[in-house]
Amino acid sequence: MNDRALQDDVIRALADAPYRASAEWRERELADAARVERFARFLARHFYHERIVHFFKYSRALARVTARWPEAVLRQPGFDALLSTAVLGERATARAVARLVIAYVAGEEVPYHGDLLRYQEAMMVVEAGPRVWRDTSRGDDRATVAPPPPELVEGTELLELEYDLPSVLPQLLQPWTTLPDAPRRKTSLIVARSRHGRVAVARASDAIASVVRFADGARTVDDLARAAGLRPGEIAATLRDLTEIGAVRFSTGS
Amino acid sequence: MMVGAFYNPHLGAELAAASNIDHLAMADPPAAGDRHWPAIKQRYTLLLHDYLGQLSEPLDDRAIERARSLAGLYDSPWVAEHFQCLHTEDGTYNLNYVFPPLYTEEFLARFVTNANALKARLDQPLVMENIPGFFDVHASQMPEPVWLRRFFDATGTGFLLDLPHVWLEAHYRGVTPQAWLAEFPLEHVVEVHVAGVEQDRDLEGPWIAPTAPSDAMLGFMAHALTRCPGAKAVTFDAFSPSLTTDVLFSSVDRIRAAL
Repeated sequence: MNDRALQDDVIRALADAPYRASAEWRERELADAARVERFARFLARHFYHERIVHFFKYSRALARVTARWPEAVLRQPGFDALLSTAVLGERATARAVARLVIAYVAGEEVPYHGDLLRYQEAMMVVEAGPRVWRDTSRGDDRATVAPPPPELVEGTELLELEYDLPSVLPQLLQPWTTLPDAPRRKTSLIVARSRHGRVAVARASDAIASVVRFADGARTVDDLARAAGLRPGEIAATLRDLTEIGAVRFSTGS
Repeated sequence: MMVGAFYNPHLGAELAAASNIDHLAMADPPAAGDRHWPAIKQRYTLLLHDYLGQLSEPLDDRAIERARSLAGLYDSPWVAEHFQCLHTEDGTYNLNYVFPPLYTEEFLARFVTNANALKARLDQPLVMENIPGFFDVHASQMPEPVWLRRFFDATGTGFLLDLPHVWLEAHYRGVTPQAWLAEFPLEHVVEVHVAGVEQDRDLEGPWIAPTAPSDAMLGFMAHALTRCPGAKAVTFDAFSPSLTTDVLFSSVDRIRAAL
């Protein structure tokens, strides 16, 4: 094992609690186990503090009504209990932490808070997962005879909401004295992440929602166009937009 | 000697009007809706102190172009990065917090090569900041100060000396900060960071916090600066939404008084 791989092993031990507890790691005796554990817990609290403050910022803004700050969960027994299974950046851990926040801040004070919590949870979960830190390939610019079948990128979420949240989100972050209202109107949003880790949200029309549901890497572009009721120019534009936000990629097959 | 702080956007109005601060370090690019940014840009010397990438690997063109663009936007006199290796090479695990590399020959060669490559693409000098370790990894082959000295000798980059990082390492090693500092290549220092530390529940000991530096830390700073002949700036290293105006301004004043 070279030194870079050894460093990766230390990073993994700090990020991945089950690995840190494993015989595989412990028998290597690379560092003082008690100190590694303490630092790993410190890192976990820091890691999720940043994400809760960022992704649950709307619930933070509502704390003047609810008096419940999302990041308070980081000092509660539920989070401490999670530390023995947490894997920093993993989707399952992100969901578990988000659920702790939701359980703590949910309430009846704000009519659309349930939708808002689902929205914020989706943002936090979609952001999780391995990411590309640096580009090492120059891409493949060769023209293809026919576009390969598009597929939904793992982790992309389609949210069906009761309230039109996008119309109220900017207001929540501005100074307000009367709680901003959200129109009760069924709204579909797609939440996706680029390979570099940037999370994007877009309104999803029925056609877009249909493309997202059926893009399985097997159905062709023509199949998707038929399923969504889109003309050739429209399906091309829709797929281009979905690719740009990281929701869809084109399968290259095997 | 310039005395400054970090740009904390939530304190933008107060910083735009301040008169006792010479420079601001920029940890993030200005937000699109930051109404104080034009005044900040006009008023201050700005130091690029963003995450550019970890130099255990070469920075890609996108990262270098971003660094060049930010350095140009700020008209930064130097560009800072950290001695850090915080995510795995395949991107699966990420600590999201500064974490030092192994102090080995292989990592030294990697950092020298990649820092030289970055330096060649920048229009400003590169400075590198020391990062504290909470525990030693037994695979390291040399002490951190030796590794740093060899890095600076091989690259000619500047040293951004983070004093609380040295102070914490000394604490956890059970030596005095002055004794541990004496091992570092202080002749390369361009900028010095000073900050407060607080007890952390998880670490069961002190760690960096967005709080005022203690008198002892300021005394340590004064001691260090007598050994850093090339130092041009001291920066109060606090960047957090919880930082208050009072802590920021009083800390800068106390740093200036202690020089």
